[in-house]
Amino acid sequence: MIHVHVYEKWWIGLTVAMLIAFSLAIGVSGFMMGIQLPSPEALVNPNTVAKQGDFANPGLKELAPKKYVAYIRAEANPWKFRPEKIEVPVGSTVTFYVTAVDVQHGFKLEGTNINVQILPGQVSKMTATFNQKGEFPFVCTEFCGVGHQNMFGKLIVK
Amino acid sequence: MISRVLQKPARILYALIFLPVVGILVFATLRPIQVLPRITLAPGFSLLDQNSARLTNEDLRGHIVLYNFTYSDCAAPCPQTSEVMRALKNRLGEIDAGAIPVSLVTISFDPDRDSPERLRAYANYAGADGKTWRVATGDATRLKYALGGGFNLYYAPNADGTFTFDSLFVLVDGWGIIRAYYKTASPSVDRLARDIGLIAQEARNSTGAAKYAYEAAHLFLCYPP
Repeated sequence: MIHVHVYEKWWIGLTVAMLIAFSLAIGVSGFMMGIQLPSPEALVNPNTVAKQGDFANPGLKELAPKKYVAYIRAEANPWKFRPEKIEVPVGSTVTFYVTAVDVQHGFKLEGTNINVQILPGQVSKMTATFNQKGEFPFVCTEFCGVGHQNMFGKLIVK
Repeated sequence: MISRVLQKPARILYALIFLPVVGILVFATLRPIQVLPRITLAPGFSLLDQNSARLTNEDLRGHIVLYNFTYSDCAAPCPQTSEVMRALKNRLGEIDAGAIPVSLVTISFDPDRDSPERLRAYANYAGADGKTWRVATGDATRLKYALGGGFNLYYAPNADGTFTFDSLFVLVDGWGIIRAYYKTASPSVDRLARDIGLIAQEARNSTGAAKYAYEAAHLFLCYPP
């Protein structure tokens, strides 16, 4: 066995222990707690997404009582989300499908853990349940152009 | 040289660590086994089919089931999904499902007008034989929970008696688990046949040690392209 200084042994042991700890953390969070990285839900053609399909008439759809899907289109020029106002009754579960038609945008919904990049050609999907009445503003979190500050809307829980 | 630096027990230890890692990487990259994802449980329902026979989700346990959703008054420009079902029914003989029965179920979301007689007329028009392919409907409120809440189908009546709805096919395995959504009016029949074959293959082969290989395929998301 070659000679390894005792401090070096400690450092080697520490790095190996950290590798094992982080690998376990990834395994536990992924497979036991079900935490997943946002993956593209679907691919769409950004050139036609505003003309046909689910995003041609974006908005809220009621699947069943208190179960909704919301299709939201983020656009620059004019900079806005379509729709900018969504209303659901208290206790609703809403699944958001968001896509962009032109450049990269962001979608952050206050009061929930929803905060995701919106890329043209890709659909981001997130779900949240609203058990409290109130207004939940959503904003664009990526600097997308000169009208970036105009990109906001709100979800109203009644 | 590693061999000179490391002694034999250390080499065995490193092999024990690295061989499984390499094995996992090779498995996850080459995907020797492909499975359809287990998405969620299919909803429970109790319906009446075109022959006024009761059709529940429990009757379909052990069957691979493809569902589609429409209403009998659906005329152009309402999207016609029965042609895909008919094409698939004609190809069921080619699909190697082993001893696992494959069923097709069309559910009407217009129970107020779709009486068993109307369903029978629709079944005759579409080519549903009442055995492998059944057409059914049920109580409106419960349908909303089963179809909207369970199958994620959007449908809403219009003032003129037509419906606005999203075209959807859902593939459910013999355990009652949703394995695929096809959010289009015209999914490829080849793909439907392939997916049914994959579910049947998994059910047939996942015994003994192969069961763990199939579970690994689920774990590493070995989904077909």
